[in-house]
Amino acid sequence: MDYKEIVKTSLQVLRRNVMRTSLTMLGIIIGITSVILIVSIGQGAVKFITDELSTFGTDYFQISPGADQFSTLTGSDTLTLDDVDAIKTDPSLTNVNKVIPVSLQSARVTANDEDETINISGTTTDAPAILRPEILYGEFLSNENNTASEHVAVMGSDAAETFFGEDTNPTGERIRINGTPYLVIGVAHFESALAGSVLSNSIFVPINVMFREIQGQERIQEINVSVKNTDALNQTIDDVEVLLRDRHDLDEDEENDFRISSAQDILSTVETITSLLTLMIAAISGISLVVGGVGVMNIMLVSVTERTKEIGLLKAIGAKEKDILTQFLVESVVMTMLGGIIGIVFGVAGAFVVSIFVGIPFVVSPIAVLLAVGVSSLVGIAFGLYPARKAARLSPIDALRYE
Amino acid sequence: MAVKTPLIKLDNVTKRYPLADGEFYQALNGVSMNIKEGEFVAIMGPSGSGKSTFMHIMGLLDVPSTGRYLLKGKDIELYSSDELADIRNKDIGFVFQSFNLLSRTTVLKNVERPMMYAGISQDERTKRAMDALRLVQIDNKAENLSNHISGGQIQRVAIARAMVMNPSILLADEPTGNLDTKTSKEIMEHIKELNKKGTTIILITHEENIADYAKRIVRIVDGKIVADRQK
Repeated sequence: MDYKEIVKTSLQVLRRNVMRTSLTMLGIIIGITSVILIVSIGQGAVKFITDELSTFGTDYFQISPGADQFSTLTGSDTLTLDDVDAIKTDPSLTNVNKVIPVSLQSARVTANDEDETINISGTTTDAPAILRPEILYGEFLSNENNTASEHVAVMGSDAAETFFGEDTNPTGERIRINGTPYLVIGVAHFESALAGSVLSNSIFVPINVMFREIQGQERIQEINVSVKNTDALNQTIDDVEVLLRDRHDLDEDEENDFRISSAQDILSTVETITSLLTLMIAAISGISLVVGGVGVMNIMLVSVTERTKEIGLLKAIGAKEKDILTQFLVESVVMTMLGGIIGIVFGVAGAFVVSIFVGIPFVVSPIAVLLAVGVSSLVGIAFGLYPARKAARLSPIDALRYE
Repeated sequence: MAVKTPLIKLDNVTKRYPLADGEFYQALNGVSMNIKEGEFVAIMGPSGSGKSTFMHIMGLLDVPSTGRYLLKGKDIELYSSDELADIRNKDIGFVFQSFNLLSRTTVLKNVERPMMYAGISQDERTKRAMDALRLVQIDNKAENLSNHISGGQIQRVAIARAMVMNPSILLADEPTGNLDTKTSKEIMEHIKELNKKGTTIILITHEENIADYAKRIVRIVDGKIVADRQK
């Protein structure tokens, strides 16, 4: 069988009715476009989160106070500096590298005649191990700053710009936090797309100063624990959990009064959400493809009726049932495949536009593209089969006599 | 001396079609005849006499209701629909009165089509189609769309397509029905030429001057042969 000739003939037939062909393909185009668009956006979002997590590294986990997110937001104080010391010094926790407590509070900051409410982050000298800042001027907080409860501050690059202007080195200047003077000892810039602007807009002070001067109490919002060996991260998480439960005197039937999450947890959550979303859209697109397929079947039935005499003539000159079946089936598949290809082009273009406006990476999944071509061809075969069989089974004389 | 098997042998063939009111229309009513290889037979009769049904059965487009049809000595009842399609493709050429060509398809592609079903390569198809078109002097229109040529040219293309597989039988159903006298003559000359080269011609017509080209004239009235005369 000369498939090249059959495909050429099919394209010729479809070109005869451009409007009809286009309208018939619309359902397929919409279905495939939405699948490609959503899969691309979903994968772009996952890549965005992955990139984001790799900025901070995946070699650490975070402990938050309270049994759930709600208690964290309402200011739970179940984590203490003693917990931090215990994790640091426990001899069984050999994989623990750095332990970094963070305490957050917004405060009124004045300097250079500017007066703003800014996020203050109380932390220790180890914070750069996870936050990975670029130190623009001066240096980050030192151990001495913390132990001596010195009134020093490291400004985020945006916060520094707010008070001292662009490209100005403010080290050695003084700022006031809630009226108390602090010496600026450094400026740090944070690249992260997601958290970068928040961090660059913050001011970092020694955690002891934070507790005493700004919060007036010891309240830790998070403890970040970095590990030496990432492969043993989950084991370290389990060990820390046991240690904290023991320290917090929790009975076996009591739930944790803290939460532990890792970068891997965040990534897998995003992946789960994306997969669910993709599955949902795929199901909706499936409906569109079925509707599109019914449209294809309808038009193919019309085409068989319109071309009954032609079928009769072809049978008279020697076309077998399978020749006629193949001709109509190829026409149907060519139509749905064309719809699929147009859908892919629209989907990819749409994903590109979305990636620009939303600021996520532009990702095109080759598997999704191959699947789209496969599915659209399958729709062509499934919905073209009945009309094609109807055409193939026409008796030559009935077809030739058809008026 | 051995008697040569007739190319076509019809034995008491009938054909009846069901009508909407539950009755039947008797198109052929016990037709028997033999056609030998190389004959030029004209089947004549008025409208509704059954001559087209006669041709459709001989062309394997339709089957008899009763009676036997032997083609080259073999009962056509023994063939499957695909085998019948194969015989139509290789042994029988058709020229109809109208709707002979695939519309909006080039003359060349129309003539190539039977060879495509026979599995002949594209190069060979083009060569043989051009040769056939040259024989009926229409090779200069090979790339024209079939709906952009005249009625006479369409019939010539139909003859080229019918002959491109070198069939032993050419069935022509009112081939000059829509043509003027001059063009009709040209078409009939081409058909006569094919008969001279050995092709068996079965011509359906109701025009005496067209039937005159044949060497044998069979007259049908009300589905029965009423005259069978050799010239």
